[in-house]
Amino acid sequence: MKSGAYISGMGHGGLILWALFGGLFLNARDPLPVQASNVSLISSEEFAALALPNEAPVIAVETPVSAQPSVQDDAPIIVPASEVSPDPPKPEGVKPPAAEGLPAIPESPITPQTDVVVQAPNAPAAPAIDEQSETVQPDQAPTPAPAPRVAPIAAPAPALDAEIAETTAPEIAPDESADTPAPETPATAPKEAATEIVTEAETPRFAPKTSQRPKVRPVRPVQTAKQDEPGTDPISDAVAEAVASETPEPAQPTGPPLTGGQIEGFRVAVGNCWNVDSGSAAARVTVTVGFSLDRSGKLVQNSLKFVTATQGESGAINAAFEAARRAIIRCGAKGYELPLEKYPQWKDIELTFNPEGMRIK
Amino acid sequence: MRLMITVAVGFACLLIGLPAIAQQSRGPLRIEITEGVIEPLPVAVPDFIAETADAANFAIDIARVVAADLIGTGLFREIPKNAFLSTPTSFSSPIQYSDWKTLNAQALITGAVATGSDGQLTVKFRVFDVFSDAQLGDGLQFGGAANSWRRMAHKVADAVYSRITGEGGYFDSRVVFVSETGPKNQRAKRLAVMDYDGANVQFLTDDSAIVLAPRFSPTGDRVLYTSYETGFPKVNVLDVGTIERRALDVQAEALTFAPRFGPDGSTVVLSLSQAGNTDIFKTRVDGGPLVRLTSTPSIETAPGFSPDGSWIVFESDRSGTQQLYVMGANGGEATRISFGKGRYGTPVWSPRGDLIAFTKQANGRFHIGVMRTDGSEERLLTASFLDEGPTWSPNGRVIMFTRESKGAAGARALYSVDITGRNLRRVPTNLSGSDPAWSPLLR
Amino acid sequence: MKLNSKTIVMAAAIMLSACTNGGGFGGGGFRGGGGGTTGAASDPTSAGYFQQAIGDRVLFAVDQHTLTPESSALLDLQANWLLTNVEFGAVIEGHADEQGTSAYNLALSGRRANSVIEYLVSRGVSPVRLQPLPLGKERPIAICSEETCYNQNRRAVTVVAAGGLS
Repeated sequence: MKSGAYISGMGHGGLILWALFGGLFLNARDPLPVQASNVSLISSEEFAALALPNEAPVIAVETPVSAQPSVQDDAPIIVPASEVSPDPPKPEGVKPPAAEGLPAIPESPITPQTDVVVQAPNAPAAPAIDEQSETVQPDQAPTPAPAPRVAPIAAPAPALDAEIAETTAPEIAPDESADTPAPETPATAPKEAATEIVTEAETPRFAPKTSQRPKVRPVRPVQTAKQDEPGTDPISDAVAEAVASETPEPAQPTGPPLTGGQIEGFRVAVGNCWNVDSGSAAARVTVTVGFSLDRSGKLVQNSLKFVTATQGESGAINAAFEAARRAIIRCGAKGYELPLEKYPQWKDIELTFNPEGMRIK
Repeated sequence: MRLMITVAVGFACLLIGLPAIAQQSRGPLRIEITEGVIEPLPVAVPDFIAETADAANFAIDIARVVAADLIGTGLFREIPKNAFLSTPTSFSSPIQYSDWKTLNAQALITGAVATGSDGQLTVKFRVFDVFSDAQLGDGLQFGGAANSWRRMAHKVADAVYSRITGEGGYFDSRVVFVSETGPKNQRAKRLAVMDYDGANVQFLTDDSAIVLAPRFSPTGDRVLYTSYETGFPKVNVLDVGTIERRALDVQAEALTFAPRFGPDGSTVVLSLSQAGNTDIFKTRVDGGPLVRLTSTPSIETAPGFSPDGSWIVFESDRSGTQQLYVMGANGGEATRISFGKGRYGTPVWSPRGDLIAFTKQANGRFHIGVMRTDGSEERLLTASFLDEGPTWSPNGRVIMFTRESKGAAGARALYSVDITGRNLRRVPTNLSGSDPAWSPLLR
Repeated sequence: MKLNSKTIVMAAAIMLSACTNGGGFGGGGFRGGGGGTTGAASDPTSAGYFQQAIGDRVLFAVDQHTLTPESSALLDLQANWLLTNVEFGAVIEGHADEQGTSAYNLALSGRRANSVIEYLVSRGVSPVRLQPLPLGKERPIAICSEETCYNQNRRAVTVVAAGGLS
């Protein structure tokens, strides 16, 4: 009996020791980077002001965003096309058609137009905040609409960003930079945050968001945004990082790992919207995209970003990224089906789209 | 004792929970997706907006041509106009993305057309990525003479295609071919050129003499072809703008055919038949010595350059059956690249440099196929009674070729197919035609 | 009277045959296969006689350009005629059936024409009187897509014309 007690005691002791110290070895092997979500303090009003827009990602309220500035802003490049088309409408006979040769006379393209882009903003900016609220009807092209609204914001940034965006790793926001007079509506602000940040900080006239923006980072911003942060608020940044260094995660149970079935279900869900152009150069690019989901499985605004891609021309990488992004957005419109109790495991995802098996089927 | 055990058990239970607590937060969940779908992207092309009264017809027609170009690639499918929930009323009006999402349109193209005083036309457009609620790239604007409206529509379609697929388009291009009439044993042939979609046909010769295999120069301004107007097959050069033609300046008695330009626009490679033997020669389009590149008793013909001008691919029956070979641009040793069962001919190097298209005969059928430039990964794209003579679109994604139907009433027509083998369709022209050659993108 | 009519006929034959164009696939608005069929077949010095009484064509097997013994025998007759009627030159057309690509068939038809020329030359005909004209698969005479038509199309046709060749 005594020996039984001793054995049991030793067994339990060993278990306790292993539980206490076995974890050390695990830790040594898995130096996972601490997932820091930067947190800073904001007032409840500010939160409310920001919270609303986040709720309406897919809804029509967005429309004013795309209110297009006038043609001048974004129809810059005039392609030669003053050509002569040598297509004489008379197909008969062998008579030489009156003159035209095929090749046309290229005009000087780009430079004049970018000037136009730059100048447009000088027009009086109509801070159409009031107008914008939720107006949905596209007919309501706000009369001041065209150039003025874009105003100072868009001017320098889009010209640069737009060009850069074409060639470097694709970013979501810059596409809109030319058009989105973002600050108009609260609804749009968070979405435009990435690009707007650069210029908005300079123009405080656009209401609450701008003043709060430097402090709040509800979501991982796109790369361009980051450059502003350190400059604006060094102290709050330091505080934020100190706070972030604690891992909030351990406080919540993460549950058992996602099952193969759940992961496969997610794969299929995204794959159904992933349209591969199998004969294209983009089909030779494997692109990795990172994003975050909220608890309902919906994509967190502005969280979708390009992570990496295999070798390829920028056009091909861009197209591959766009196809991946469309897939995630479209099939995630109603939220992905993932177990809520395992949320911490899938709140941040990096998806690699590998079309190797689909190329030229 | 009992206490000890209880405490020990209590500890153990407690500590079982520890590993979970001590667990580090993990990085993002990493998943790989390898299975997507291949389907045409739904796109909406509402009529363009006429900004001046005269532009009304142009606005509709241009939008139609843009839509036809995109649909014709097989990569897009059009959302029917009668399903639209709203249409833009001005070029700068904001887009109601939800309306388009409801239709599952993933791309939206809007545009506007204005006529100018001197018969000029201005066309501008925007592309939208509907599910991202954003415009895709910058808008663009084109200007030109009103009668080149089709070219402007093609340029719009090229830009849209490029934005979405990341590759160059091919819509603003022309095709030179042989137009045929008459019964099979008395075909009347004449050279013709048309837009790649069959519009704007223009004849370059009359039908008094047999003409064969026309080929564009790299700038699209001249055409090399074989003509029987002297009674014997000889290579001619024809200027597309003036329609003037002349014989290529080689020996008077030489029988020459199957000519092609080199990428420099002045080198010409061709076949020459002498005493029953056919070999490949090189010369210059503006006159120059005839340089022999092959000298074998077998038939060497159908030569063509690689896009960088350093290689020549051709067909030869030196092995006993027609096969494909590659040699340096100055001749020399040739490497065989075709090894399947059957006969291979009419090799053409893709403008992207990555593939060679060809005609293959096997088991009594003809096929258009592609292979890598070293001969690997051969894929057949078509099969029929008689397909031959592939030509590449300027972006290397589409192949056009001749298909002839069987029998006494057999007639030839131009067909096109995507390099994946999808989207096989007849080129929309009423003419019976053969020997197509695709121009580069027009400037 | 008889003499006159014969003379007239012969004169007519000679005049007419002189009109034929040796390279009839070009500017003369060529239609059909094998031109230069003028002159009464009864006149042994006429092209018509050559074509109908002697026979102007030899056939080939698929992908082949070699002459069969029958072909050779026929070409012997052709050679004799040419050696007798020295004022004639000949264009030797080569043809191929449709079971091949265009350029290759052009080259193959050239080989067939050349086979005939070499044979005639070996029988003593001067090579300057003979010219090859490869026509590939452009001018079939039988248009069904069966072997019964194909074997008629794989041919070489000797087209004689007075006055030699320009």
